[in-house]
Amino acid sequence: MKNNHNITLNNINKSYQKGNNTVVVHDNFNLTIESGEFVALMGPSGLGKSTLLHLMGGLDQPTQGEVIIGTQRIDNLKQAQLTQWRAENIGFVFQSHHLLPVLSAQGNVELPLALTPLNKKQRQEHASYALELVGMSERANHYPKELSGGQEQRVAIARAIVSDPHILLCDEPTGNLDRKTADEILALLTQLNRDFGKTIVMVTHDKKAADYASRVINLETYIFEPKNIEVGERL
Amino acid sequence: MNTSLKTGHSLLTNMRQAKALTVINFKSFPQRFVASMVSILSIACVAAVILSVLAMTEGMMKTLQRTGLDNTVLVMRAGATSELQSVMFPVEVNILANNQKIIKNNEGVAQVSAEMFVNAEVAYISNVGGIKQATTTVSLALRGTSNATQKFRPNFRLVEGDMFATGVRQLIIGQAVARKMPALRVGKVITLGGAQWKISGIFSDGNSVFESELWADIGMVQSDYRRGNTIQSIRLALKDINDLPTLEKEWQEDPRLNIRVQTEKKFFADQASSLTRLIRWLGFPIAIVMALGAMVAALNTMYAAIASRSKEIATHKAIGFSPLAISTSILCEALLIAFVGGLLGILPLYFAFDGWTAATQNASNLSQMMFNFDITFLLIIKTMSLALFIGLLGGLLPAIKAMRLPVTEALRD
Repeated sequence: MKNNHNITLNNINKSYQKGNNTVVVHDNFNLTIESGEFVALMGPSGLGKSTLLHLMGGLDQPTQGEVIIGTQRIDNLKQAQLTQWRAENIGFVFQSHHLLPVLSAQGNVELPLALTPLNKKQRQEHASYALELVGMSERANHYPKELSGGQEQRVAIARAIVSDPHILLCDEPTGNLDRKTADEILALLTQLNRDFGKTIVMVTHDKKAADYASRVINLETYIFEPKNIEVGERL
Repeated sequence: MNTSLKTGHSLLTNMRQAKALTVINFKSFPQRFVASMVSILSIACVAAVILSVLAMTEGMMKTLQRTGLDNTVLVMRAGATSELQSVMFPVEVNILANNQKIIKNNEGVAQVSAEMFVNAEVAYISNVGGIKQATTTVSLALRGTSNATQKFRPNFRLVEGDMFATGVRQLIIGQAVARKMPALRVGKVITLGGAQWKISGIFSDGNSVFESELWADIGMVQSDYRRGNTIQSIRLALKDINDLPTLEKEWQEDPRLNIRVQTEKKFFADQASSLTRLIRWLGFPIAIVMALGAMVAALNTMYAAIASRSKEIATHKAIGFSPLAISTSILCEALLIAFVGGLLGILPLYFAFDGWTAATQNASNLSQMMFNFDITFLLIIKTMSLALFIGLLGGLLPAIKAMRLPVTEALRD
């Protein structure tokens, strides 16, 4: 059964103060991303791609407008409610993986599960499964410094999916990787979208990376390029 | 995966999250250990100073509290606040001793001890390890005592040598004096007021302040110090201590007497409070200034820790850790720093100085008083609590800052 986890941005205005000037990032911006889509947000720096991602993930609030995920309006939630909502619904993948150096791959992936009522054994099982999905089972006990850039990003993806969120928000996930490794990561994201129905929103500068998406939104020209959407089952 | 992954934001959930983050902080603490050293050492210094002050006052209090008996009345000249300031005459001793409320033996002799108290300049040649050192001069309390004196010191024991002989220049020294000045041993000849005295023995008195004194025959002390037949204090054993107010009134109204009456216990308790007050007034302000410095150091360390980990904290927030859990884990790290600092301050002091005999100038009788550094478990707990309190205050503002850290900015930097 397909759940409604559509991402809806209604009449979004986002501006911030820089000295005495008000910088307008988005003015009356509207966008809907349906459950199960793999969307690439493209465009040059400074157009507010990451800002949109942060608004969708509840890391930032719009100056005006509504951010609705599924049936839940999130732009007016309190911080404590937002963090809880985020823990249950959103997985983040960053350009810099932001793995904790003192934890092994397994430990890093288990971290979000500390927010759940799972016991230690269950947390280990979930984390092992997530690492298996991203092809990192063999490296479960390795620390980030012992992993390559691509492997670190795979672990970061495992961390993002371990608590089975509906939505993955990826901010330049292949920005620091070579072409071959980037393609492997993008193939992995495509697999998560296709086989497990994850809604993926990916910010990228890379046209080739955007080709993996089912829809590309170019913020510079604001051109939407729809593709066919196939929705798989969740984890 | 059918297990529910619903989170929650109850206090329990927050604490579970805080525990997970604290474990991570502790794991990475060795990486920040050197950077945290300034605050660790500052807190260690504060803990050491506070513990020293507390141990000194505790040691002094115990020494003075162990001194004096409840049913013993100490009589001195009116207006005298110490035995040194007092002067009394034999006729007064007789009037006091004849009172019916004083304990008398089978022969009808009252239990009374007339005592001399002199601040003596003691000169001796220190002789450590067989090598003669320079002459040392020190102010010590010399008490002229009689046979009755020991009845007022039930804990009195000769631990070495013999009792002094009457009519000759012999004296016994308290074991606190012997401990502090190892050159003073049985058989040693020392100079007091220009005359040669021989140490005949060493005594103990239940670690009371009397162990800081030299005791000799009252007649010899009166003679050597040209005091005629005057004495300085009288100790009387009352049949019932509750009679003291009546007795005091009676003596105050007696025109032949001009005296001050109090229990011996109260006399030493007052001395204890005035001595320890002095230490507190000197010690605590220093400790407070140092504590403020340590707090600023802790504050600085934690701010630096947060600045260097802003991305990590932002990632935790993005993952879904609550701001409360994040700030709690920061506080826990500040407390860890304080705990390590507290231990570094307490343990060396405990192992080096617990039971160590220190000496101080007793302002009321101008002579040295020996006491032991007494580092009790309670004092350790008090000191550690203070260290943790400094850590808590030092970690509070950084914890609030971490709580409010804007995730988007931190991730973008």
